Amino acid sequence: MIAPRPAYSDPFGPESLQTLRRLEPIEDITPEWAWGSGTGAGVKVAVIDSGVDAQHPAIGGRVEGYVAITEGPDGLEYDTRPHDDVFGHGTACAGIIRAVAPECEIYSVRVLGRMLSGRGNVFAAGIRWAVENGMQVCNLSLGTTKQAFYQTLHDLADSAYFRNTMLVTAANNIPMPSYPSVYASVIAVAAHAESDPYRLYYNPAPPVEFGAPGIQVRVAWRRGGYVTTTGNSFAAPHVTGIVAKILGQHPGLTVFQMKGILHALAANVTPPVD
Amino acid sequence: MPTTDDALTEARRTIEWQEQEIERLRSRGAENRISEDLRHALSLASLTATIAAPSEHGRLLQSIVETAARVIPSDAASLFLIDSTTEELIFEIALGQKAEEVKSFRVPLGHGIAGLVAVSGQPMTVSDVEHDPRHASDVSQQIGYTPHSILCCPLVYNDEVIGVLELLDRKGAPAYSPEDIETLWYFANQAAIALELSRTSRSLSRLITAAMQATSSRLDESGMSGALRFVENLEEDRVYRRALELADLVREIAWRGEDELLLCEGVLRDFIRYLTSRVDPGSTGEHA
Repeated sequence: MIAPRPAYSDPFGPESLQTLRRLEPIEDITPEWAWGSGTGAGVKVAVIDSGVDAQHPAIGGRVEGYVAITEGPDGLEYDTRPHDDVFGHGTACAGIIRAVAPECEIYSVRVLGRMLSGRGNVFAAGIRWAVENGMQVCNLSLGTTKQAFYQTLHDLADSAYFRNTMLVTAANNIPMPSYPSVYASVIAVAAHAESDPYRLYYNPAPPVEFGAPGIQVRVAWRRGGYVTTTGNSFAAPHVTGIVAKILGQHPGLTVFQMKGILHALAANVTPPVD
Repeated sequence: MPTTDDALTEARRTIEWQEQEIERLRSRGAENRISEDLRHALSLASLTATIAAPSEHGRLLQSIVETAARVIPSDAASLFLIDSTTEELIFEIALGQKAEEVKSFRVPLGHGIAGLVAVSGQPMTVSDVEHDPRHASDVSQQIGYTPHSILCCPLVYNDEVIGVLELLDRKGAPAYSPEDIETLWYFANQAAIALELSRTSRSLSRLITAAMQATSSRLDESGMSGALRFVENLEEDRVYRRALELADLVREIAWRGEDELLLCEGVLRDFIRYLTSRVDPGSTGEHA
């Protein structure tokens, strides 16, 4: 007689158990293994922000897709026509991603505008759109401190995690927790002051797990310009670019594997002392 | 735009009006139910006066901006509020050489550093303002002052951006540091609480006015003595005095921050729930 299986245990039955390829021993991971000469080609990256100016030299005319989400009288509206950047912030993030992963496919998901109300809903809709439309990495250099969105965003972050969509989120710039950057399911990033775009640090005291350049960095802005600025917003896209490069070389990685790889690549994670 | 003087005038007007109403009530008498209404209205008045006197908040805001500009040495500072109807920022406080010129300006949301901070809810520093495309050069030109460096922080209350606090031209350094951002955020937080308490006070003043108007309109000429006695004995009223003492304690907690106030409210509510659910020691029941 076959014993009944408890709920959720089917994937581990003899007929359904999948064999997966193991990673190299994690302590041996190097940038050469992680991305080598990879450029992020074919990896879909959503920049959930204020829009991306495709014509900016830092973007090089290549934005693969657009969606601008707004709250209309009858609910949320999705406009997939090409759009501009309302403020410059999204172009700044996309420019960093493009510099790190030059051949990744950038999708501009515009959720920031001049409106002050309904932004939480639009923001959540942006993440949902990205997850449902097969984005592999999402750059979230924004968040909300509104408790009302805690659960909605937590659920969305979990669904992204289980679909292997990497949500790379900037920590808040002021000492208030912002969502979704404080969730365990996302890759949360804050700024360090060094300029090497590939220099990562790991923080053993989360919720912010990784550090990347974000202090006095030169970034693209509106109308073809550049600004030198500071913020965790600009640290996150460095990690987004690195994640895109890694995914280009190692498709199908899970979020927890990606975190393990980023941890192994962090400059403050050193080999064991014999 | 309300200033410290406006707030003082408004507070004085409210107090005068309340005194007149009390005098009117005293002369006409009241019934017990009206006495209760009055007690409630006056309790609210005393609470708001203790927790959130508008005149105090006007001065407090000014002092927050001044202290911020002293702690993070800066040539000028401004505090803007969001006018959500016109989607503009309006100046509430301005310090520095061009303070008077600045006060008449309204800045569209999303325009300039302050406008960007208002819509993004994130602080921003700029070190070379003149060449930075984010800067509102039109406003600078009209005022005749272009700062070299800017630090701008949102005023966030109850998860909403209600304004921004901006420092201009860091003294002793070419730019504002990440530490300056965090320091200014604490000042912005204090300013946001002061502003919101001030607004609450104004809206409660209106509420009290309405309550008192409703109360007085229900009075008849028969001369009920409840309100009269209440007003006469107000100073000696033990409950009233205890209420004031409690309000004073709550005020102290409220100034520590919104979280602390929420915690205080939660503790009090839980204690009330506990008290109401507690079995009366005199009652009897089955032992399980």
